[in-house]
Amino acid sequence: MLRAAFTTKPTEGGRRWRRLFLLLGGVVLLYGLLAPLTSLDALQSAGFPLLADKLWFRIATATAMFVVLASAWNLVGGLTGYAAFGNVAFFGIGAYTCGMLISRAHWPLFLALPLAPLASAAFAALVGVPLLRLRGHYFAVASLGVGVAVGEVIQNVEYRGTPVFGGSTGLFLPIFSVDNRDLVFYFLMVGAAALTIGVTWLVLRSRFGYGLIAIRENEEAAAVMGVNTTAYKVAAFALAAALTGLAGGIFAQWNVFINQENVFPIEYNVQMILMALVGGAGTLFGPLAGAVFLYMLIQFLSGSLPVSLDLPFLPSDARPVLAQVILGLLLLVTVIFVPRGVIDFFGGQSRLSLAYLRRSLRETSV
Amino acid sequence: MVNFLQLLVLGLLAGGVYVGVGVGFGLVWGVLNIVNLAHGALVMVGGYLTWTLFTRLGLDPFLSLPLDALLLFTIGYLLQRGVINRVIRAPLLFTFLLTFGVNLVVINLLLLLFKSDFRSVTPSYAGAGLELGVLVIPFTRLGALVVALLLAAGLAFVLNRTRTGLAIQAVGADRDAAQLVGIDLRHTYALTFALGAACAGVAGGLITLIQAITPTAGEPYTLQAFVVVILGGLGRVTATVAGGLLFGLIEVFGQSIPGSGSVYANAIAFGLLVLVLILRPQGLMGRLR
Amino acid sequence: MRSRSSVLLVVAALLSFACGGTAGTGGTSTGATITFGAPLGLTGSLTKESTLTQQGYDLWVDWINQQGGINIDGVKHPVKVKYYDDTSSANQSAVLMQKLITEDKVNFLLGPYGSAATATDAAIAEQNQVPMVEANGAAQAIFNQGYKYTFGVLSPANKYLQGVVDMAATLTPKPTSIFMLSADDNFSLEVANAVRDYAPSKGFTVTLQKYKNGSTNLAAEVQAAKAANPDIVMNSGHLLEAIAINKAAKEYKLNSKLFAYSVGPSTPDFINSLGKDANYVYDGSQWTPQVKYKPSFYLTESQYVDAYHKKYPGAGDPDYHVAESTAACLAFQKALENAKSTDPKKVRDALAKLDVMTFFGQIKFDSRGINTYKPMVVEQIQNGQHHTVFPTDVADVKPMYPTPAWDQR
Repeated sequence: MLRAAFTTKPTEGGRRWRRLFLLLGGVVLLYGLLAPLTSLDALQSAGFPLLADKLWFRIATATAMFVVLASAWNLVGGLTGYAAFGNVAFFGIGAYTCGMLISRAHWPLFLALPLAPLASAAFAALVGVPLLRLRGHYFAVASLGVGVAVGEVIQNVEYRGTPVFGGSTGLFLPIFSVDNRDLVFYFLMVGAAALTIGVTWLVLRSRFGYGLIAIRENEEAAAVMGVNTTAYKVAAFALAAALTGLAGGIFAQWNVFINQENVFPIEYNVQMILMALVGGAGTLFGPLAGAVFLYMLIQFLSGSLPVSLDLPFLPSDARPVLAQVILGLLLLVTVIFVPRGVIDFFGGQSRLSLAYLRRSLRETSV
Repeated sequence: MVNFLQLLVLGLLAGGVYVGVGVGFGLVWGVLNIVNLAHGALVMVGGYLTWTLFTRLGLDPFLSLPLDALLLFTIGYLLQRGVINRVIRAPLLFTFLLTFGVNLVVINLLLLLFKSDFRSVTPSYAGAGLELGVLVIPFTRLGALVVALLLAAGLAFVLNRTRTGLAIQAVGADRDAAQLVGIDLRHTYALTFALGAACAGVAGGLITLIQAITPTAGEPYTLQAFVVVILGGLGRVTATVAGGLLFGLIEVFGQSIPGSGSVYANAIAFGLLVLVLILRPQGLMGRLR
Repeated sequence: MRSRSSVLLVVAALLSFACGGTAGTGGTSTGATITFGAPLGLTGSLTKESTLTQQGYDLWVDWINQQGGINIDGVKHPVKVKYYDDTSSANQSAVLMQKLITEDKVNFLLGPYGSAATATDAAIAEQNQVPMVEANGAAQAIFNQGYKYTFGVLSPANKYLQGVVDMAATLTPKPTSIFMLSADDNFSLEVANAVRDYAPSKGFTVTLQKYKNGSTNLAAEVQAAKAANPDIVMNSGHLLEAIAINKAAKEYKLNSKLFAYSVGPSTPDFINSLGKDANYVYDGSQWTPQVKYKPSFYLTESQYVDAYHKKYPGAGDPDYHVAESTAACLAFQKALENAKSTDPKKVRDALAKLDVMTFFGQIKFDSRGINTYKPMVVEQIQNGQHHTVFPTDVADVKPMYPTPAWDQR
């Protein structure tokens, strides 16, 4: 509805923006792939400057993780139009699959990791069949319920008095003992992100992808046109689950400690949707842009980036609270004025201007 | 048997709060198509007003409920008119995103104003109750249930018997047609949200009697309101009342499972919810829309 | 950025030098500032407890800087703590932990609040080999991983209600049955399981009922307790659930001879929220303002309480979250003095060997890194005031027992 209302031809200025964006993206990508290599001992001893320290890795790996989560959500929420609220269940199932295999069965990481997406996808296929019969709000709430329930069951399920999955204590994995641990996890997570984007790209230009978009635009019409809607929806759901589960599996070993609180956080459901929407749902690079933008914003406000926000003249205990208020206000402004996501400016479609803001406002308000 | 009866009473009493929280949430969702993630935060605004009036002026918490409603009505009206109306025609998820922002702002403003201390209202009659044989019915909880039911009845009256209410329903049914017959959309939207917020305020006042509140204490209620509204069925006040009471019963009977108690509370509630949705997508009492 | 912080350092050093001068310790020279780091939930759901933690850290920082700093081999090093807000999220805590270690280059780490955050951060401290002393994660699981750089100054979870059980065994008429309610989080279950395993040896029967962590509607659990008609009702949870249970106990006339909660009653919020209904409630506490230890350094208990009142007027007495957080700092102070170095490995070794008496009690770590040597005390709220009732050698009053029925108060 909104998308149709906005369709405009790329302008001359828009094309310039697009070129600039592509250039910028290329530079960032190159930096993201090469900078971490400077942490290798060989390059360090050769006198290269250290461009990526442990904090850089922590934040970059987490950013890549959110790229996976937001992009995978995009397959269901953006392309198919089903507002999934429970994707964190897949993240947690992936994490616990890896966690159990590594900490209990002592499997090596690279053997355990492929099973994480499989477990998540299998679960998604199982619950997807009944869930995806629901539409709109109903699907949203039901998927939210699945997300909450899975975490609760994993935390509490017992067999003869002993918790099966480590109970509320959670699972401690052995610390992964290789050199350049950070580098390994970073490239694993970036690999997962690249895979997710790649899969989205393939889906977008395949028959499957057109089917999904047809379902989003009008499910009945899609069915009439011969799209097997149930199979398509469940496939998209399972695909998203597999990618999310992969990120969860990597997270388990990266973070060393997992429990219900850190792999089934409800706020991740909200965050991945926010990221996809802020970036631009339904597009290839939107969720990526949104994940990077929003995660950087959160980190900026929490003070973990080299540049930080200095709120002057305020008592120190009010600063973190105001940072949260600012985050909330920025979200409001983004939704009100940039409803198609920030990616819109970089796709050559529109340019940030007063007229654009005014038009966005008019399109969506009463 | 006695235990069963007592649990039944407990469940219905617990349901009172859920009815209070649910009706406002359901109204906004049903009419405006907004999943209001800030609902729990608005509930807490009402809670803090009741607490403030009780501790500063000694005002009885039940007497402060109309003031909660008034304050939240005003806040709700301004919020919808000034902010949410700006994105109301965007798809569902955008308003969702917007209310998430509102939620962050409200919670953190509360944190600035009231700090993170746990606050609770304990009037002199707290804990007193009717004793019918072995059955115990505490006055505060009974009062909360009665107020919640009155609130729902009042809301149903406004929606079905007043011009404003009919306008709200018309807008909910067909926005464009409503506009054609001369209904002021902006005002009606704002009124709807204001009514929803006012209900949240009353619910907040009731909650201070039952538990200690902090700025973040409203968040679980947003989640529960979600379930209550869907369980009953979207679009009717009576359905939400049924959903709320049923949710209270599910919770209490789930809790009474020996040993594990309520650890599966959410799994049970949501499991049931998914089942209801699949078997009866319009909710237990909802209309097909 | 960098230049500004170095200016700050100089100013801080000058200030502390000036203070040191007035305190009459002119003989020693001033060394480099020692920086500690701590991510805390200054917003989000753990704000209350995190704020108390921060107060505990800050009390010590003020004091030590008044003394001119930590005395390391004759040189006084002023101290500062760098805080970040982790928005009560364990995952964000991990990011900020790394920030503190890698970019802020803090010398040492003070623990966050919350068991998930503590467990995550302990793994990071271990990987970076920076010592962390934490004061707010009593769950033993963290200490069973063989980590060498994490220490906990507080008594482990299994001790929380053991004191209450010991005390109850001495009361007449002797109670015999315990109904144990427990939240389903890691810490609370460790507390509850310890009671279930320990109490039978003192002649009690125990029934355990779990509930969802963070529940506020606990009426059915209270009803289950009432049906069991136990002599003792215990709760292992947090402040929120403790208040909810106490309210429901009154409403549904759950009477028992003794109510004891693991966490909650020790905070001023419990009394403020419940008024006179808070009376008679017991809790197992890491520390109370009434304990009588013979500290070898820092403040005595009463001086500590005065210092708290002075810095945080209107906040009531410091509860044990504050005291244990201060104790974490004291452990670092002594370890640094003993190590005569700020080298992380040497300080870690000094921490492992530490054995000092403080206002908080003995601080000594077992081989896993947790303080199993300090006893817990039992507190009771009597006439709206916190009193220490057990062990008898630190108690200031006798327990009021049995608890009268709700309609006879």
